Amino acid sequence: MCLFLLFSSCTPQEDTAELAKQQGKLYIVTTTGILQDAVANVAGERAVVEALMGSGVDPHLYKAALGDLQKLRQADVIIYNGLHLEGKMGEVLEKLSRQQTVWAAAEGLPKNKLRHSPNYPDTHDPHVWFDVQLWSKLVAHVSERLQKHDPAHAQEYRQNTQKYLQQLDSLHQWAKQQIASIPAQQRILITAHDAFGYFGDAYNIEVRGLQGISTMSEFGLRDVSSLVDFITKRKIKAVFVETSVSNKAIEAVQEGSKQRGQQVKIGGNLYSDALGEAGGPAGTYIGMVKANVQKIVEALK
Amino acid sequence: MNLDAFWIIMTGSLVAISSGLLGCFLILRRMAMVGDAISHAVLPGIVLAFLFSGTREVWSMLFGAAALGVVCTFLIEFFHKKARVPADASIGVTFTWLFALGIILITVYAGQVDLDQDCVLYGEIAYVPLDTWITESGLSLGPRTVWMMAGVTLVILAFITLFYRQLYLTSFDPAFAAAIGISTSLWYYLLMGAVSLTTVASFESVGAILVVALMVGPAATAYLLTDQLKVMLILSAVFGVVASFAGYYLALWLDGSVAGAISVIIGLEFLLAFVFSPTHGLVSRRRHLVVTTPQPASA
Repeated sequence: MCLFLLFSSCTPQEDTAELAKQQGKLYIVTTTGILQDAVANVAGERAVVEALMGSGVDPHLYKAALGDLQKLRQADVIIYNGLHLEGKMGEVLEKLSRQQTVWAAAEGLPKNKLRHSPNYPDTHDPHVWFDVQLWSKLVAHVSERLQKHDPAHAQEYRQNTQKYLQQLDSLHQWAKQQIASIPAQQRILITAHDAFGYFGDAYNIEVRGLQGISTMSEFGLRDVSSLVDFITKRKIKAVFVETSVSNKAIEAVQEGSKQRGQQVKIGGNLYSDALGEAGGPAGTYIGMVKANVQKIVEALK
Repeated sequence: MNLDAFWIIMTGSLVAISSGLLGCFLILRRMAMVGDAISHAVLPGIVLAFLFSGTREVWSMLFGAAALGVVCTFLIEFFHKKARVPADASIGVTFTWLFALGIILITVYAGQVDLDQDCVLYGEIAYVPLDTWITESGLSLGPRTVWMMAGVTLVILAFITLFYRQLYLTSFDPAFAAAIGISTSLWYYLLMGAVSLTTVASFESVGAILVVALMVGPAATAYLLTDQLKVMLILSAVFGVVASFAGYYLALWLDGSVAGAISVIIGLEFLLAFVFSPTHGLVSRRRHLVVTTPQPASA
């Protein structure tokens, strides 16, 4: 046992967490990049916010690195999505909440606003960020908790949040208007996995997914052929692929429709479970929503 | 961080010892991939446990997985004995069938629920220190996983020391075992029960890849270095523990996955043994394994 401890005492520790503490800032760790963006907007100058999962990572299948443990240990606050988005990792973080400050952001949303599976009312769709209005509620919730956690800077958090919520509100209006400009007959969003449920509800666009909620569950043959039927009947112009899911399934649908005489193009790569490259146009939440809406409108109109 | 490192290496070592010991018997029976088979075959168990309990909570998942682990090994032996197909074919047929059954169950009954081994059963060894067992009075007793794996390791150690002779004879010389009144089927099922228990508990602690790697790799390495089962068992456990240590520091150095790093070290150990083994190595031209049959009393 002494040998164990001897070996483990020589670990290098030089990183952002130390830096944040030296500057008197909070060190906040989030699971997804989308959450990081939200928290960074609320916290502004008062915190360094880091995400465990990078851009383009599927949170359902994320594999932890050893450095993640260190980040979690050093974090003043840990924020994760919850509603089983992070799978087993969410369970671990819930357990960790007994020792450290851990918040499940989406658990703060009112249950009646959440989509749930028809047969299992307790299992909710975790992809809450697709409805900008719902995401605003989550941002407000996180902000409230942050104000309570760090009352000295509550005023600043409140101001940041107000400003950001206004941006989100105009984003919501914009998205609504954009999607509404697509003729009702063609307003159908076909994607590989079922992440866009909230998007469909919020912006009044019909959503069809090939796979279930999990990116692991395979698509059935009947799913493909019924989707092909649907596409040819409604004369749909485009289907979409996602950044964090394989394109194979949706390409099968495209090929099938072509054989039935309906040309369907790939309407573009939608951001589903992760943001785009940091610094790029889709590197923020607002940029991601804009990129998605633009692609959808362009392809379907 | 020091204590965290200790718990991670401790967990790795406990999994290494229990799977390494059982792995030796599996290799001798030409059933090394049974661990991998179980990792797939537990899927319908997870789905059924969810359909009955309605939650993805860890204990119901563990129960479903363990039940299907036992069913899987039972079916392997059944097909092997009754249909007279070789053991590896029997393993292949059984686990693909069970896994497929699980996929169908998901698509038919639970398509709207995120349900698979990765998100409800497989643990992550890097997060072991975070999930501590805290008593009602608020005392922290260390990670829950370490307690669970320590229990499993003790059971496996007791099982192998107490019944070494039976396990040894039924693995090496089933005909002789049967002649002196040791039931090969009984000991097969007991061994496979132990394998199911270890794999499922380990999956929940450290994830699937690491368990499969620890079950096959160290035992195969030990197999290259000795002809004696007792030595093989000890070497296998030692190689597993060494890999847990070295793998942790490799992961720390690379800031990578701990399970991945440990598995890489296991592979390296095997390569080294393959090149330098005194009996089977590339360096000293290899000589075939001669299974000496020592007297049961001395074994």
